[in-house]
Amino acid sequence: MSFVATMVAGIKRRPRPRLGLKAKHSMWGYLFLVPAVAILLIFRIIPMIEAAYYSFTKYDLFSPPQFVGFKNYIDLAGDPVFLQSARASALYVVGSVIPVWIISLALAKLILSVSRFRGWFRGIIFMPVIMSMVVVAVLWRFLYYFPSGMVNTFLGMVGIPPVPWLTTPNTALLSIILIAIWRASPYFMVIFTAGLQAIPETYYEAGKIDGTNAWTEFWYITLPLLRPTFLLVVVMSVIVALKVFAVPQLMTNGGPAGATNVVPLQIYKTGFEFFRMGKASAMSMFLFAVMMVFSIIQIRLFSTSGETE
Amino acid sequence: MTARLSSRRTRNWFRNAILYGLLLIAASIAIVPILWMILSSFKYLEDMFTVPMTWLPDPWNWHSYSDAWAQRDFTRYFLNSLFVSISITVGNILICSMAGYALAKFRFVGRQFLFLVILSTLMLPLEVTMVPLFLIIKELSWPNTYTGLIVPFLADAFGVFLMRQYILGIPDELIEAARIDGMSEIGIFFKIIMPLAKPATIALSLFMFREAWDMYIWPLIIITQEQLRPITVGVALFMSNYTTDWNQLLAVAVIAMTPMFILFVFLQRYFVQGIALSGLKG
Repeated sequence: MSFVATMVAGIKRRPRPRLGLKAKHSMWGYLFLVPAVAILLIFRIIPMIEAAYYSFTKYDLFSPPQFVGFKNYIDLAGDPVFLQSARASALYVVGSVIPVWIISLALAKLILSVSRFRGWFRGIIFMPVIMSMVVVAVLWRFLYYFPSGMVNTFLGMVGIPPVPWLTTPNTALLSIILIAIWRASPYFMVIFTAGLQAIPETYYEAGKIDGTNAWTEFWYITLPLLRPTFLLVVVMSVIVALKVFAVPQLMTNGGPAGATNVVPLQIYKTGFEFFRMGKASAMSMFLFAVMMVFSIIQIRLFSTSGETE
Repeated sequence: MTARLSSRRTRNWFRNAILYGLLLIAASIAIVPILWMILSSFKYLEDMFTVPMTWLPDPWNWHSYSDAWAQRDFTRYFLNSLFVSISITVGNILICSMAGYALAKFRFVGRQFLFLVILSTLMLPLEVTMVPLFLIIKELSWPNTYTGLIVPFLADAFGVFLMRQYILGIPDELIEAARIDGMSEIGIFFKIIMPLAKPATIALSLFMFREAWDMYIWPLIIITQEQLRPITVGVALFMSNYTTDWNQLLAVAVIAMTPMFILFVFLQRYFVQGIALSGLKG
């Protein structure tokens, strides 16, 4: 654990080199920073500014962009396909992140409460995280196969008739939500494990003196002290869920009847199948606005760590 | 006294049985689908969805891999993925470490501001910027090039954050001593900072390799030439064209996950630490 210990040392130590290091070497500071800032500026920030510009134009790649004011945004507000994709994304996010929080925290507690085979269990449970989303899509299409894939076979064992998971609107969205839970929970389990381990033992000892039981200990000691970790998990899980693309694209291509047509998929279709760059940019701005709310919390968490004691 | 002790022992045994039982269930949910995929890739088509289900292939089909491989130029796709992923990983190790070092150990005007600028790109994932980024790449005539696949991803906000956090923990005295000895700034970075930051570098490279290997939406947009396709797009195209040949499709998927699997088996510790770090908050 020396790795994490060094990181913690980095956080505890105030990054304030003495005067000697300062002015003379500041030029080197800029030089070391240039490549990263240049790449991120050219390929992340400038594109975003351009998206804002294109969102006010009509642009099909073949004739030059034409300024149309707020037309794209007004169109979006009344476009049933887009509204449905916003709804699909919202349902997907809400439906997946809440189970992910509960399951990943439970898994973290579970892993920490046993003493033997901890590494083995953690390693095996972590396996879904290392798979490409494309491989995940192949795998789950196989598992959801109607009528005799593995999921339906297991349901059959408890007497439930086979479900055509990917071809009816309600079950299709549920199917990709279950995949999200399967793949995201182990990832956040690891973050929760680190957060739980960072809570000093003394709090629990003090709690024991006051007569806590497992439930009050969790509710009054663990949860409040886990707040920063929890906040980060909430933010990251929402952002990951908002970005989902490969799984719905490959499993249902947004169908049936638009039930899994999440916003990134609709942006892709509008831009690269119908070549309506202006409209796609307006959708991107919408997704950006939603993501920004959550990202700002994450950026505040990241940028203040190391500055505070 | 002994009665109480033994009742406590029974209770502990009972508690452990429940905990390990739950862990076994969780581990099964994670791993059984993957094992099922691997086993099924060795089955014949007619044994694919038997009722009742049979775990082991009977007989084993040793051809599904070579048959699948013959359908498309998967060797090329695989090598493309490897080349692009390694390039992105190496680039990020260098660029993110330099930026992290600058932010951790130098004082200059606008440092905090530039750190915030870098972090702000966390809210600009490809899913948001794909349309304008494509237009920029088109402007540069980079569609259908390795450059177009690699260069936009040579720096990463999380990577910079990770390296900065780690380098903050390296004592200033080491850097000052090297300066007094007359070591150049570039020498200090390569000979002192990089070796000391090795654990973070390994975590970062696993993180970047995983992201790059997973790359799907971007090559889908900018690559139309067969010989530049990465394995992800290859698998996806195979899935949309050959859905009935499940054993071959699963075989290709298994091959596509092998590099990550190998890295994970050997470097699991660093994987887990890299992710754990993103949750560390001072």
